[in-house]
Amino acid sequence: MRKVAIIGGGTTKCGKRQATWRELVQEAGKAMFDNVDNISPKDVEALLVGAAQPERFTFQVHVAPMVAEHLGIIPRKVIATTELMCASGQAAIRYAWACVASGIADVAVAFGVEKMYMPDMAEAQTNMACVLDREWDGVNAISAPPFFAMTAQRHMYEFGTTKEQMALVSVKNHHYSTMNPIAQFQKDVTVEKVLQSPMIAPPLNLFDCSGITDGAAGVILVPAEDAKKYTDTPMQIIGSGQASIGNAINNLANITDWVPLRMAIKEALRTAKISLNEVDIAELHDCFTISEIMEYEALGLCEKGKGGKFIENGEPYIGGKIAVNPRGGLLGCGHPLGATALLQSIDILQQFRGEVPKGRHVKGGKIAVTHNLSGPANVHSLMVYARG
Amino acid sequence: MGNIEFEKITRPENIKLPYMLDFYPLEDEKNTKISRFFTNLKKGHLTTTNCGECRKLLWPPRIICPHCLSDKLEWVDLGSEGELYAFTETRLGAPLGFVQDAPFCIGMISIGGLLISARIDNAKYEDLKIGGKVRLKIVELKDGRVFYRFRRTS
Ligand SMILES: [Zn+2]
Repeated sequence: MRKVAIIGGGTTKCGKRQATWRELVQEAGKAMFDNVDNISPKDVEALLVGAAQPERFTFQVHVAPMVAEHLGIIPRKVIATTELMCASGQAAIRYAWACVASGIADVAVAFGVEKMYMPDMAEAQTNMACVLDREWDGVNAISAPPFFAMTAQRHMYEFGTTKEQMALVSVKNHHYSTMNPIAQFQKDVTVEKVLQSPMIAPPLNLFDCSGITDGAAGVILVPAEDAKKYTDTPMQIIGSGQASIGNAINNLANITDWVPLRMAIKEALRTAKISLNEVDIAELHDCFTISEIMEYEALGLCEKGKGGKFIENGEPYIGGKIAVNPRGGLLGCGHPLGATALLQSIDILQQFRGEVPKGRHVKGGKIAVTHNLSGPANVHSLMVYARG
Repeated sequence: MGNIEFEKITRPENIKLPYMLDFYPLEDEKNTKISRFFTNLKKGHLTTTNCGECRKLLWPPRIICPHCLSDKLEWVDLGSEGELYAFTETRLGAPLGFVQDAPFCIGMISIGGLLISARIDNAKYEDLKIGGKVRLKIVELKDGRVFYRFRRTS
């Protein structure tokens, strides 16, 4: 296996965009290639495109060739779309990494895109209800908010987690996203504002939930030994972990303990040859406030059931035990499914390069973990990145 | 522009709910090997498959046991009384086809050793509690297909 580095990346602005799916692709693609000197679309040998539901949101399949056409890429080693719902973008990174690490390709692009705004938003919600087992869970109208609402209810019931503790996650991440010019939401919220926002599915209010978002982003991967040909400040991929247990509600490992995340972090740290306390930045998948709290626990940042206390005590902030979501998270930046993992990895690259605003810069940060969950939190995917 | 034709065209204003947006599964033996689940349900029985070799209880009903790959599965009755493990109420953001029902309650229900999701009828969020008892209810679509829900009994 060759060591692999990310040499640059680019994104669109995220939010309710007055742009089509293919226009998002073009914006992010240009930003990506503009970010790296000495490389052109024709150098790209492998293209992996993370897209969760283009056939639903945009009524377009065969999307990787569409991306290739729009960006002038002529892949001659590997081309495919990767789908893993909310982790589709990380699947693209993972396969692009494997292409370069194995020697199949010398230049690979991992791309991600989702156009989620539709004229009738009930149609968008329908798309989110075929993620669990559609015929046995989706049929009961279980899309993401009800599932995570029930998860939150159980966590509150079993461990005494409070609505206020959950709201703190939203306050923190919305605060960091005020300093992120590509974020969907760039306004601070308060605990009161979160608690008073419209009830989506109790106990989850609107500001406990990440948004419906349009966005695209991409990164370029090369063998680590070639990275300095393109940039003085590459980012190394040093480890990864991924685990999946079940998909229908009955077959999950545990509702209130994300066992696959425990498995994935163990593997990620093992492959990166680091310990958890060496991680400076964690971009965690805060699709809902309860998710981030449960991720503190499953990653081993705190004891089981103490995730609420962990944020109450000021641990997951810049300057605390670990900087969690200094990008602004999904809650602040939005969650354009296929693009989210790319957005996370580009922000880490910018953190390492010192290109993010001072107020959310993790000074001296050397090692970062990015995480995506997908489905009913039955799949957890982690990448470990290092500066230089 | 004199020789460019402009014409208004029409498309059907209403179409039948397309198959892919119909959340309810196709139930008869022409479409599925577990049609027995639905014929049992029509008689008032919530059933699933149990592995005849490794004895594991399987949900949803299957034709192969994922634990030992046996195809010797037997139908078992799960009973009609369940207990709420968790629940919520969809107030905003209901999917197409469910919008007209909102707000409505959804639960994870412990029944017969399984944890299954279902709609909870005859209840508001405030009426329910974890551990509360629920009883099987069967709903029938216009075309005769059936599905299970639960209703609050405590
Ligand atoms: Zn078996």
